[in-house]
Order: sequence, then structure tokens, then C-alpha cells
Amino acid sequence: MSALKSKAVLGIVLGLALGTVGSAQAAFDAAKVEKARIDKFHEMGKAFKTIVDGLKADTPDTKSMSAQAHVMVGLSHKVTSWFPKGSGPEAGIKTRAKGEIWTDWATFAAAAKGLETESAKLEAVTRAGNLDAIKLQVKATGNACGTCHTKFRGPELDKHEG
Amino acid sequence: MSPAARLWDWPTRLVHWGLVALIVIAWLSAGKNMEVHRIAGYVVIGLIVFRLWWGVAGGSTARFSSFVKGPKTTGAYLAGLGSREPGQTPGHNPLGAWSVVAMIILILVQAGLGLFATDIDGIESGPLSDRVDFDTGRLFSHWHELAFRALQGLIGLHLAAIAFYALWKRENLIGPMITGRRQFTGLVPSFSPAPAWRLMLGVVLAAAAAYAVAKGFRIRL
Repeated sequence: MSALKSKAVLGIVLGLALGTVGSAQAAFDAAKVEKARIDKFHEMGKAFKTIVDGLKADTPDTKSMSAQAHVMVGLSHKVTSWFPKGSGPEAGIKTRAKGEIWTDWATFAAAAKGLETESAKLEAVTRAGNLDAIKLQVKATGNACGTCHTKFRGPELDKHEG
Repeated sequence: MSPAARLWDWPTRLVHWGLVALIVIAWLSAGKNMEVHRIAGYVVIGLIVFRLWWGVAGGSTARFSSFVKGPKTTGAYLAGLGSREPGQTPGHNPLGAWSVVAMIILILVQAGLGLFATDIDGIESGPLSDRVDFDTGRLFSHWHELAFRALQGLIGLHLAAIAFYALWKRENLIGPMITGRRQFTGLVPSFSPAPAWRLMLGVVLAAAAAYAVAKGFRIRL
């Protein structure tokens, strides 16, 4: 066995050992996961604001709205993946994600599914271009966001985030 | 003691208590019922616009020229503040006058910041939020909150001053703001009310301002 190889083996063994020791902890950096999901939700908020603001214009640009709705649909399918087990408050990080996300995963996942459905409908109505229908669906989509936020999101940590 | 003389006209009192009610409503509805929060903000802007108009066109004690004084007069008043004699200023004393000015400016800033603000989810926003991007809207939201802390501080000071006058100087400031009348031990100051047309014009101005703001200044006649 070459020196290099044995070092690699040692590394793997050590890694496994450490992994076992820290088995209660997840094998990822929870702070990084938290930062990444904040960024993703920030993208979501940005897209949604563009749609909401678009409705305020004298002649709303439904084309750019549907582009933003498309972004939201794409993000909505990934929401649950931003919350791997172990990335909650138990990881010792500052997060607004409540522990209930993982203790009541089924409800959380269903709420995320609700966002998938509503944002897909939003994309559809923005493509159709009827402003009244868009307004209604914006409200429904906002409510879909709210189903998670009221149940699974804790109070603000500091005053300026996202 | 002479009988209670007129001190504040009713539009001044109505604006005062209207602001009290609406600021409480806006505070309680913030982040909970944003439709109510926004409407409260528009009405606050209307009331402040009216008060600014009334400050140049209203009854004598409501006029800025009658109560806003320079640093010398304010300093002299401040020097005598510790005296237990009740003040004899008809209306705002020189120190209170600056508090009124600060209050008007701060409320206007507070409401103005809210017009551009956006919540963290991009769901709720002020009527002018489309003039700024998401991050800037969030910054406005942050400032909107900071300005409210400052406003809370100023209101706290206002209440402390009222308590100070009541306890130290045995002077009731709340009563006259409700009844519009106050007793004077010395010479009764003259009060000249404003004609009705000025009131009407002020109401129209205030309503127009509140409406324009609510519509984000997109008005199609």
C-alpha cells in the first residue's frame, strides 16, 4: 500500500469515526443550509413582489408576471428539500424554522405541495392574462405561503433580513 | 377665577385624537391585518396634511406662527420649567411647540416610509413599493420600523410631559384637549376661530392627499 493510499484510508476511517461520534448531528453544515434556504426564499419573495407590484401599474405587464410566476413554480417544487432533517433549531443555529417542521413533516409537506399547486395556477392565469383572475390567484398564492409561515416559521430574529 | 375660555377649536382636537386612535390601530394591525394598516396610514397622512393647513389657516392657537418660538424664548421657558406655578401660555408653550413640530415631521416620515415598504415574503406592500426593488423595499420596511421606535419615544416623552404638568405644576392639559376650554387665572387670552370655508378647504385638501397616496399617485380622472 502506498503512503498516499494509506493516508486516504486513514482519512476515511477517521471520517467515519467522527461521523459516528457526531451521529446525532447531521453530516452537513446547518448554518450553510440555513443561509441557502434564506436566499431561495428571498428569490421567491422577489418574484412574488414583482407580480404584486405589476398589478399596481396602469397597464400591468402580464408577460413579465408569468415569467416571475414560472420562477416561483420552479422554486416551489424544491421547498421541502431546503429543510433536511437536522437543519432546525436543534442544530444550534439561528433560524426561524421551527422544530414542528420535522415533527409534523406531513403537514409541512402538504403545505409545500399547496404552494406548488397555487403557484402553478398563478402561472396559468398570468399566461391567460385576465387581471381579475390574476388578482384572485395572487391572493390564493399568498395564502399558500401563509399556511407554512404561520405554523412553521418563528418570529423575526433581527430586524433586517431577506 | 374667570370662566373657562376657548382654547382649542374642534378641528385641532379632532386631528389630535384621530391621530391617537389611528396610530394605535396602525400599531396593532402591523404585520397582522395589512389592509387595515394601510388604510390607517392613508388617514394619518390626510390628518397631517389637514394639520399643516390648519397650522397656517386654522384657529389662532392652532397656527404655527402663534406658538413656534425661537431658541431664546424656548431657552427662557426651559429655565423656568421647574417652577411649580402652572404655565399661562394660551396653547402650546415654547417647548411643547417643538414637540408638536417633531411629532408632525416624525409621523409624516413614518407614514412616508411605509408607502415604499415590502414585507419579507413580497406579499404585502405599500402603494409605492413598485417604485423600488425588493431589497430596497425591505430596507424601507426596516426604516419604517425604526421610525416607529422613534415615534414611540416621542409619544412617551409627550405623555411624561403631561404627567409632569399634572403632578408638578397641577396643570391639567388633557381636559382642554377634550373640551377645548381651559381656565386662566390671569388675563383671559383672546381666541379667534377660523371661518368655515377654511375648514372646508382643509378637509378637501386632506381627503385629496389621502386618496392620491392610497392610489400611489396613479389617478385617472
